[in-house]
Parts: sequence; C-alpha cells; structure tokens
Amino acid sequence: MQLKSTSTPYSPSSISNSYQFSQGNGYVLPEYAAVVPQAVHSGAVEHHRILIVGGGLAGLTLACSLAQLGVACVLLDEDNTVGVKGASSRGICYTQKSLEIFDKLGIYERIAAKGVQWSVGRTFAGDDEVYSFDLKQQNNFSFSQQPAFINIQQFYNEGFLVERIGQLNATHASDSTNPSAHTGAQIRWNNRVKHFANNDGIATFTVATPAGEYQATADYVVDATGSKSPFRKWLNVSVTAKQGDDRWCIADVRFNTRPPTERHTWIEAPFNDHRAVWQHLMADDVWRIDYQMAPDADPAYVSREDVVRERLAKQFGAATKVDIVWVGTYAYRSECVDAMCVDLAAQSVLQAAAKKSQKNTLPNAVHSSQVFFIGDSAKVVSPFGARGGNTGIADADNLAWKLAAVMHGHAAPSLMQSYHAERHEAATTNVQVTNRTARFLRPADGAEKLFRTATIALAKQHAFARALVNTGRMAVANPYSASPLSDKALALSTSVQNVALQWVDASPAGLNDLLRWAQTRPLLLVFGDAQGQLAKAQILLLRQITQSSSARAVQVVAQLGQVRVLEAVLDSANLLRQACAVDKPDATQALILQGTCYWAVLRPDSYLCARGTHLGAALVSALKVFAKQAS
Amino acid sequence: MTRRLSTPAPIASASVHNQFSDADGFYEALLDAHAGLNPAQSAALNARLILLLANQIGDAKVLTHCIALAREVQIASNE
Repeated sequence: MQLKSTSTPYSPSSISNSYQFSQGNGYVLPEYAAVVPQAVHSGAVEHHRILIVGGGLAGLTLACSLAQLGVACVLLDEDNTVGVKGASSRGICYTQKSLEIFDKLGIYERIAAKGVQWSVGRTFAGDDEVYSFDLKQQNNFSFSQQPAFINIQQFYNEGFLVERIGQLNATHASDSTNPSAHTGAQIRWNNRVKHFANNDGIATFTVATPAGEYQATADYVVDATGSKSPFRKWLNVSVTAKQGDDRWCIADVRFNTRPPTERHTWIEAPFNDHRAVWQHLMADDVWRIDYQMAPDADPAYVSREDVVRERLAKQFGAATKVDIVWVGTYAYRSECVDAMCVDLAAQSVLQAAAKKSQKNTLPNAVHSSQVFFIGDSAKVVSPFGARGGNTGIADADNLAWKLAAVMHGHAAPSLMQSYHAERHEAATTNVQVTNRTARFLRPADGAEKLFRTATIALAKQHAFARALVNTGRMAVANPYSASPLSDKALALSTSVQNVALQWVDASPAGLNDLLRWAQTRPLLLVFGDAQGQLAKAQILLLRQITQSSSARAVQVVAQLGQVRVLEAVLDSANLLRQACAVDKPDATQALILQGTCYWAVLRPDSYLCARGTHLGAALVSALKVFAKQAS
Repeated sequence: MTRRLSTPAPIASASVHNQFSDADGFYEALLDAHAGLNPAQSAALNARLILLLANQIGDAKVLTHCIALAREVQIASNE
C-alpha cells in the first residue's frame, strides 16, 4: 500500500477506525449457520459471475439489491453475525437517501418502526447555543416520503437486509413462471478469504470455512471488507491518507430521564474539560454519548467503567440513573483509494512487464476480472456528518443496477467504468468535508486554535460566523459533476427524492415503485406542457422515440383527465415535477411554447441524467446515453 | 444553564449576516495558508490579509463598524 501524504502533517499514532468493544453489556446479535459449499469436499474450483467479500452495510445492500434485480451473487462473510461480535452499533445516523434505498429494497418500514426520527440539531459552545438547524424546514427534504434522518443501530439494518435477502431468494425459487430463475444472493457465513491471486487477469480466491478450504474464481469481485481491506494490498492500490491524534470515547447508555430527540453537539463542553461532546438517541431508548478525549488519551483508562460513570455524572447529574449498554474508544483517519475499480487484465500486464516477460501476455479483456471497492474499503472518514455508512450504502446502490444491467444484457460491460467516475467523486468529497470538520473539532495549536476561538466568540453574537462553526456537515446524496451517463447540459446529476404519487386508480404509489418497475432501464418521466397537457402528435412522437430505446416511459399527470395512452401516475401536487426541477431547464433550448413538453430521465438509482422542455434531439440523445453504453 | 441566543437586530453598516458563498472552503484555505508558519509569521500573514480584505471593502463606515464589532466581542469574552 502506497501512502501519499497530504498538505497538513499530523504526527503518526495508533489507530482503530472501527469502534472496538471495551466494556458494557453489549447487544445480543443474531447468529447464522456456517455455510460449507460442496467445493470443500469435491475440491472443484467454483466460478461466480459476482462475488462480494464482506457482509457489512455496503456488501449486504449490494447483495439485496442484486437479489431484487434478479441477479445471482455470492457473498462471503468471515464470521457468523452482523455487527462486530460482542460489540457496538457502529453507524447510527441514516440519511434520507439511504432510507429511500432501503425503501426500494423493502426494509424501510422495519427501520422506521425500530428507529428514531430526528431533524433538529443544536450546537453549543460553553453554556451558549451558537447554531441550530431543523432539516424539516429545508425544502429539499420535504419532497421525499422518507424523513431527513433516522437513527438506529447499524446491526439492525444489516439484520433486516439478511432477512430480506432470504425472502427474495425464496420468492425467486418459487417463481415457476421463470424457468431460468437464478440462485439468488447466497450469503456464506464463516467463509473467510484467506488468499487472493490475480492469475493472468482472473481473480482467484482461497476461502477458509469451518470444514476446510475451497477455491473460487469470479468475473466481478466486490471488496466490501471495510476499513482494513486486504484487497488494497493484494492489488497494490494507491491510497491517499491522513490521520490525526484526536481520540473519542463512546458511551451507549439508557437513562431514567429522557433528553430531547435532537442532535446536540458541544464544541467546548464545560462538563468535558472544554472538549467536544455528541448526544444522540437511537433505537431501544439507547443514547449515544460521544466524548472527545485529550489527544493520545489512554483508551484503557478513559473507557474504564468508573471513569465513564464519573464523566456521565458530570453531564447529567449524579441523580440520573444510567445503564451502560456499551463503551468504546476510537480514533479516526481519512483514506481514499485512488481507483475504485481495478481491471485485473491491466494489472497482470503490468506484472508481466515488471517481470520482463517475453511472452505476449495481453489477455482478452472480456474474460478478465474486475474488482470494485465499495464502502469503507474504498474510503474511510471520521464519523462527523454520518458520511461513512451512508456513502457505502450509496456505493452499493450505484454498483448494483450497473452490474445487473450488464448481467441482463441491457448494457455493455463498459457501463461499469462510470462507477469509479461517480463514486470516486463522492468519496473524495466526503473525505474533504469530514476532514474540514475534524480540523474544526481538533484544531492544531497556533493559527487553527486562534481562528476557532475567534469564530466561536463571533458566532455567539453574529449570524455570519455560525456558518464557520463546523460540527459536521450532514451527509447528502452526493451529486455527480462529471458523470459519463449525464447529459452534457446538466451541470450536476442529482438524486430525485422518493416523491409520493398515486396510481390512476387513486391507490398510493411512489417514485420508488416506478424505479422498481423500470428495473435496470432508464425511466422517462413525461410531464406535458405547463398545464400538464400532452397533444396526440406528442404521444406519437414519444412512441417513436421510446421504441428505439430500452427506456420505460410514464406520463406524470396532475389530473386524471390528462391521462393519455402512456403508463401514467398522478402527481396532483406537482411534487415530482418540482423534484426534477423540469421548469428550470439546463440546456439553453429555445423555449418553443408551441409544443412544450417537459421531461426527465432518471436512472435506476433515482439520479437525474437529463431533462428538457420539448420532445426532440435532446431527449433522443439522452436516451442514447444508455444505448451507447450498450453498443 | 444554556442560553439560547437570538439573532441580533439589524445594525448600522457592517453586515453580520452570512454572506459566504462557501464558508467551509474559505475556512480551509485560511488555515492552509497558515500551515507551517511560526507565530510571528502567522501574525504577519493575518495583518497583511486584514489590510487586503479591508481594501476590498473600502467603505470607511463599514470598516470602522467592523473594528468596533471585533472589539466588542473581545471585551465581552474578557468579562
């Protein structure tokens, strides 16, 4: 692994990005039966189209998405449970985008029932509140059927995904109308990848199970092993990294009194030696209280039960009864792989060149394996702003439909190149944003400390300085500025919220229903003119345009009287029209009022890739973006 | 006890409302500019920067008001 140092030097220190179990009763996690494949006994080498390594949030989201899109895959997990054995909940804040993805996969209702919704965040310095926000007041969040955030322990979401995969597999298996029904997403618990080799462009694994080892090869390998990914080293992937000396200690606790369901953040808490504190509620009435410690604090000392209890008593008063569920210390680092996809053919050519091989080893690119990095194996960030797990879920959502489109033959393998283009931009943005927060929360002595002190002092009196107070910028669905799948006229490809709609029989629907219907195809939304009207000639033109494309087209109407012959949904409040911002076209298209017809093209992950004001060349070329990838 | 601060009433000439187009980006660039400097160099950089920014504002009333606001906070935090 190659480390590239970035502009700010930090002294090296021991790191443990994953929260380590220290003390407390912990949580009871589900246990699953170990899977021992036939190959262990037969000695045969297995071959898989898609092999996912790692069953955390990102790996399980990907497996579940593939199962839903009707694509077989195998997921290897090194232990037999979700979460970290005997340990913590890890991620707790799930964004609207993640909740929308979970809704598409069919587990949102369970998350909503178990978790806690919140929208208000308050930031304090000393005894003063210096900054607050209410996400409900921010327009964009209100378009979706999902709330801005739900807090829930990570292992619940992982457990829900595992159960959902089981359901989807059972549904596919019993689908007698489909003789080529796939084998589903197969999760293999207690299967640990012991060895990886690039054999002339073919990814080859040795996997250890409780009953022995077996070998497997795969076309598409997904590294979802997390922040300690062994693949980076195996594939010699370069990493841009940065680490600091900031130390934190989490206490997950239950109280006999209930603090408000708000995110409270202290930059300088009087009850924590003027260091930062986070206070957040999650499922089961468990509160996460996260204390910033002195730099290079001894993890064993700060997580000792009596020390933790003393700290809690200082904050909540000695009279408050506290049950400690779990205690853990952590440090963080930021890291990002420089390539989120590695083609093993290119790698083996490099290796061959390095060995000065005389043989012509240029392999056939079609048959070589590709490795994709998702979640923490691609990038590691500090926890501020919930940009870790949520980014991993989005990585999986992005990769799933592309893999499925290629597997179904709806797109050429070259579609996969867009994964790096889009998700590396998201990863580097999230690394930058979280590094900025970390720098505010743990300023270096000198100018950094000086400016923070000045910022806080000004922020107590003046609104402008509150914009500089950075206790975490909450995760969003990262927009793509340079996606090969977007219309050039679109400056940013953004995610369209899961708007509530109605079917024409007035039964409830949502944008996710349309996306599920389109599966791996582009979804064309046709809005008609300013009044929602669509002329007969336009219908004919639309038919002509869509016939030569794989797109699924749907007319979005405000009133039932406007329904024409396309598939139609009712958007009586014009929410979908607003969410797609079709009235603000990006292209400087001549606005021909005669014949105006607003439209938008969405990808299976709900990202907007084109929009326009009339049916013409722009729409034809937007739909060709997918066709091009398929040629 | 936690005090909740109200937004101050509009004041004479200097705006105290957020006018940053990218507050976090500015803050990062500012800290980056100080990286590797000793305290004297850092103070000198701040002085040059204040003069450059003051020239961008130009208006004497606004500048006088900004100086007064900065001093007020100093006095308040020394209390």
